[in-house]
Amino acid sequence: MKYQHLYVVVEHEDGKPVPVSLEMLGEARRLMDGYNKRYSSDEKVVAVVLGHGVRKLCEELIFYGADAVIYADSPELRYTRNLIDTKVISQIATNKELAAKFSAASGFVKPRYMFFAADNVGRQLSSTVLAELESGLASDINKLVIEDLEIKHEHKTKGQAMKYERTLEMYRPDFSGFLWTTILCLDNRNPAIEREYHPQACSIIPGVFVPIERDITRRGPVVDYVPKFDERDLRVKIVNRKIVKSAVDFDSKKAVVSFGRGIKDSPEENIKMVAELGKLLEAEVGVSLPISKKPFAVSDGASSTYMIPDRVIGTSGRKVAPLLYVAAGISGAMQHIAGMKEAGFVVAINPDENSPIKDECDIFIKGRMEDVIPLLLEELRKKKPAIEVRK
Amino acid sequence: MANLNVAVIVKLEPDFSEGNVSYNSDGTLNRAETKSILGPHSAVASNAAFYAKVLYGARVAVTTMGPPIADTALQQAQLLCDADELHLYSDRMFAGADTLATAEVLRTGISKVDAKLDIVFSGHRASDGETGQTGPQTAWKLGFTLLGNVIDYNVDMQSRTVRARRLITLQGFYDVIEEVEAPLPVFIAIDPSYKASFNTVSQRLEYEKYHKEAKSRAPNYKQYLKVFNAQQLGVDPKLVGLPGSPTIVYKVEKIPKAKASRKAELIDGSSREQLGKVAAKMYEVLGGIVIK
Repeated sequence: MKYQHLYVVVEHEDGKPVPVSLEMLGEARRLMDGYNKRYSSDEKVVAVVLGHGVRKLCEELIFYGADAVIYADSPELRYTRNLIDTKVISQIATNKELAAKFSAASGFVKPRYMFFAADNVGRQLSSTVLAELESGLASDINKLVIEDLEIKHEHKTKGQAMKYERTLEMYRPDFSGFLWTTILCLDNRNPAIEREYHPQACSIIPGVFVPIERDITRRGPVVDYVPKFDERDLRVKIVNRKIVKSAVDFDSKKAVVSFGRGIKDSPEENIKMVAELGKLLEAEVGVSLPISKKPFAVSDGASSTYMIPDRVIGTSGRKVAPLLYVAAGISGAMQHIAGMKEAGFVVAINPDENSPIKDECDIFIKGRMEDVIPLLLEELRKKKPAIEVRK
Repeated sequence: MANLNVAVIVKLEPDFSEGNVSYNSDGTLNRAETKSILGPHSAVASNAAFYAKVLYGARVAVTTMGPPIADTALQQAQLLCDADELHLYSDRMFAGADTLATAEVLRTGISKVDAKLDIVFSGHRASDGETGQTGPQTAWKLGFTLLGNVIDYNVDMQSRTVRARRLITLQGFYDVIEEVEAPLPVFIAIDPSYKASFNTVSQRLEYEKYHKEAKSRAPNYKQYLKVFNAQQLGVDPKLVGLPGSPTIVYKVEKIPKAKASRKAELIDGSSREQLGKVAAKMYEVLGGIVIK
């Protein structure tokens, strides 16, 4: 078969895997186990690793579900750079000899499926790799299914019903968090525009899928690949790399106070109050996705401090699990809930008892935030002296 | 001819600002009732191009693919970056394109229409599609070096190289600011946090000059506007629009409401007494001990 296996592009920082890499492998393992059973085949989960001196990581990836690892080692690949990484990954994805080292089946042309991380390395990398491989890519996926589908499409099938076997259904939540769009990557079988599109590829939202339990009895080959590149491929030079503390820090805070479109009646004042509440609870301030699109006219300070993607909690932002989560003026779209459902205790402030957040909180305070928060602040201040917060 | 030629790729997007955006009762966007404007990330990209104009006297072209009304996005971008040219690629043939087919139109157009470019800017992602794929795919097809998540940049005009700082955030890791250097031409996907700063007196004077020029140009933007259809751009019809899109939208469904994961206690937000209890509970959850 021309198209075989599921290739997972692994991200790591000097050999330490980014969690989403193991999450992708876990989902890949589950999907391909089902696939191999259903189609009586033996297609592999293949981890693709670029780096320098990270063989140990390759072995770990087998424990986390990979059947084989393709490993490109070069000092030039130590840190990710889009240009060279795209070249090397594309070489790997189209290399028959490599595939022959872990699979007896012949005829390999390209992977059947391909996964990348939907973070700010993988998003760009998946885009350029799929531009190079000339196939389709769905971004920010949080559910995957492999199905035989009957498709009738004006262009793909010239309006005829046709069966597309082993098709990857890629589900992505849209920007509202209320709709799920299923994307398919399909060959054009219409004779006028005939063309094959493989791999079927996607980028996967960090924190969605669960890694398999580390199993040190799992075995599989680590196949070395010697990347080919010339001077032109190395034209981006990394001059300096500096670790910075993110201005927004959800991880070391015990509480998170978030706000959403409910600030609308007096955005500037409401943001100030939320910030005040955050300060009192020693919390980091988060926002819902719509807020990062700067829907309200507020002062530059409030806008550049709070209405930013870095503070977004949810599938398009951070996942948090504080002891206390306060959601003020947040309706509770699924994509927000995904980012805070692990919180220990959730307090929602919302005038609408029918909003979805009500089912996701422990205390629902019914009321507009501009009415509730001032009272709550007073009560919190009153109680503060009587309370000693254990550090 | 200018010493530096830059282009900005922008997109007309739903206006998510309050008062303009309209949602259906189920929380989805009401597209018919929602106006469209220059996308916020496109605006940041336009600001980055304006920086090149102020510092290096760059010639700026703004490009979009979209329906005829997308020219309003070009106008709004011109106001931000004092564009010298506005290009709209518009043809029914382009409709329904996925990111690869969109990138194909942009690549063909930019290669054909623009002078030899040194930098192409794009935004981080569109606020409706949110894939962030079109920019990088256009970069790859153009053969330009992609620099993503750029938070600031400068050009060394002598050596024709760009020095840029990129922000890299990875799940569960510290953030990294990476400083990179690359020869022109480059494709810069600008980070949402980008802010141009003009520090010297001469920069500020240039800024004022071009800013004024932009304000006089934008009302007459049609003078700067060129519209190209598929034939004029010379695109291959098999590679654009729906026929050129590897991906299709198979179905759209409402995300099923999850089973209630918690049982909420309902509190009256106007009751001080009840809020007092909430306050105490909050401290308790945070590990505080009430000393009485």
